[in-house]
Amino acid sequence: MNFIHFMELLLVAAILVGVGLPLFRGLSKTRLFKPVNPRSEEYKHLLVRKEEVLLSIKELEFDFKTDKVSEEDYHGVRHKLELEAAAILDRLDQLEQEKKNGSARAAKAI
Amino acid sequence: MNDFGEFALLVALATALYGCVSYVMAVRGNRVDLYLSADKTPLIVWACVAIASAALWRAFLTDDFSLQYVWAYSNREMGTFYKIASFWGGQKGSLLFWTLLLTTYMSVAYLQNRKKNVALMPAAMTVMLVIVVFFLFLLNFSTNPFERIPLPPEDGRGLNPLLQNYWMVIHPPTLYLGYVGFTVPFAFAIAALITKNLDDGWIRLTRKWTLMAWFFLCMGNLFGAAWAYVELGWGGYWAWDPVENAAFMPLLVATAYLHSVMIQEKKDMMKVWNMSLILLTFVMTIFGTFITRSGLIQSVHTFDEATLGYYFLGFLGVVIAICTGLILKRLPLLKSKNELDSFLSRESSFLFNNLLLLGIGFATFWGTIFPIISEAVRGVKITVGPPFYNQVNVPIGLALLALIGIGPLIAWRRATLSNLKKNFLKPLAAALLFGAALFAFVPLGGRADILAYVAFVLCVFVMGCIVSEFYKGAAARMDLHEESGLGALGALTWRNKRRYGGYVVHVGVVLIFAGIAGSQAYGTHDQKHLKKGESLQIRDYTVTYERLLAMEETSVKSRVIAQVGVYKNGRRIWTGQPEKEFYKGQNQPVSEVDVLSSWREDVYLILADFTEDEAATLKVYINPMVSWIWTGGWIIAFGTVVCMWPDRLEERRRVMRQKKQEAAFSPAQE
Repeated sequence: MNFIHFMELLLVAAILVGVGLPLFRGLSKTRLFKPVNPRSEEYKHLLVRKEEVLLSIKELEFDFKTDKVSEEDYHGVRHKLELEAAAILDRLDQLEQEKKNGSARAAKAI
Repeated sequence: MNDFGEFALLVALATALYGCVSYVMAVRGNRVDLYLSADKTPLIVWACVAIASAALWRAFLTDDFSLQYVWAYSNREMGTFYKIASFWGGQKGSLLFWTLLLTTYMSVAYLQNRKKNVALMPAAMTVMLVIVVFFLFLLNFSTNPFERIPLPPEDGRGLNPLLQNYWMVIHPPTLYLGYVGFTVPFAFAIAALITKNLDDGWIRLTRKWTLMAWFFLCMGNLFGAAWAYVELGWGGYWAWDPVENAAFMPLLVATAYLHSVMIQEKKDMMKVWNMSLILLTFVMTIFGTFITRSGLIQSVHTFDEATLGYYFLGFLGVVIAICTGLILKRLPLLKSKNELDSFLSRESSFLFNNLLLLGIGFATFWGTIFPIISEAVRGVKITVGPPFYNQVNVPIGLALLALIGIGPLIAWRRATLSNLKKNFLKPLAAALLFGAALFAFVPLGGRADILAYVAFVLCVFVMGCIVSEFYKGAAARMDLHEESGLGALGALTWRNKRRYGGYVVHVGVVLIFAGIAGSQAYGTHDQKHLKKGESLQIRDYTVTYERLLAMEETSVKSRVIAQVGVYKNGRRIWTGQPEKEFYKGQNQPVSEVDVLSSWREDVYLILADFTEDEAATLKVYINPMVSWIWTGGWIIAFGTVVCMWPDRLEERRRVMRQKKQEAAFSPAQE
């Protein structure tokens, strides 16, 4: 066996060990993903939306300061954004409450 | 070492295939063990490809002509600099280089996201591994860079003399970094479609990747133009060559994406559009490699052995079919609940900008594939030249230029017309005043003159808009935070890097437009056969041919240099030295131009021919404002760095979100 063949063998052995080891750690019954909780996903999405709407309000204020929107349009758009933010915050509270109630019920059942 | 390199390529293919299969099985069977096993493959594949690349580089540096590829693209006389660059001088090496970059990107994306984005990672890694498998399949079974020559020759043929230029080391890697970079957002977009994670998570995740790929592609295009300018010796920097077009099209689509994606982030709409744009960008990058490697379309860039057309065509077909199928399947989930608030809004201006960019993209695509279509339909290959592209793309480009100025002055969601008029007044007045002043100085005889005139006026208008944006922003900050003018300007840019970095990029684009307009409309050239001491008069310049110098630089390369004195208003301002280089074994000499560059214009000298009595034919170009294009490129680079600079506030917001999510729904399901 020459040096190159030895290196090739070493490479293959290293790869086999690398990809093979996890298969023999007795993890075959461990689940990769927990079932997706749609409420958690919605919560995550709403957190991002909340940030975006709040940033939009800040940006609108800046646009107003730099004279891109009239006072009338500023108040109109700001009102719309505030309503959107309020709806998001309500829904976030609702999801948090549902989660708390669910946890409390589960604790009682135990 | 060659054997080891070849073996590493084969092992990389086997590992990548295993990675694809085990990722899919891990997700389908919801098994951690398979996932952990598959998760090792991106780094292993990268390591194997790196070994193969190191082996090929070693073969170049040690003049190992037992490899057909090294023999074809190198020789003993070439310097180390060019031996390193010869790696991507031909089809085989360029594919290996592409694969090296692809696996490097894949590994970085893997290391960055493996713990943060478990939901998307298996699918994203599978997509990238499938693409890697395609390239590794070609490298192993169709275009192997380790192919041997049974009886190795003493010396190689050497790199094409046209490629023996320092740009060879810079331009292809930059362009490839751009092309390959779009694989990452593409893979995460497909992963989002497969896993139904269709909020803007994948967009935030890949925002910097997209920007980086865009930056490299943009720079790659500009570097290519700069190389063509100094090497090809025809006085220009862009010829609408099919391969230039192939690099230009993904840039246009990606630019459209970078703008429209902001609407999705702000308003949670246009999901189908953005998804389609990023998928199309990737398709365009593959189309680009198809053009270069199919041999179907004639181009100065086509590889000698362009034989991979059908493979790339097949791959392109599969990618398009999968993308279209996935988008159609997920259409109900991609539908947006929000609508545009007003026609007069930043969102609408972005939509127009998208339409214009795609318009230029489509015209360029049509012109590029027209020879194939005409041959298929009428049996005659009709090539579409620069007049077609200029006829269609220049007016659209000018409309786009105007929009660069208009867009930033319009507010998001709803702008007020009266305020808009007020905001446009000063930039418009500046542009009109400039236009009136310019009217007296420039000719307006032909179409090119008029278009250039309009372009200059628009450039002033756009610059006015950008300056007014910075000024108003800084003034507002000075009011609110009691900062000094400079402090406010700095803080404004620092706290809104994406917005104001974008404006800096726009300044670069304006300079490029101005440079193109000036050089296309007001350039001139002349050619004359001159004896020693004779002169040629062009514009304000007197170009005097002084003498011819011949020298043997190496045993394979000799140079013939013309010494030329350039005078302006009777004063000698420069000694130019255009030359012809002769390479042993090459039929055609290579012209090396000499350029005196200034912000106003370039004096561009070509030694077209010479005779035994030491007379020379000189071709002289006066190219106005070409340096503006290169300056614009550097400004774009600076603006992109500003945009990409890490944003601590955003990172803080991300961490806060995660904490909140964990507090409400522990453990967090990212």
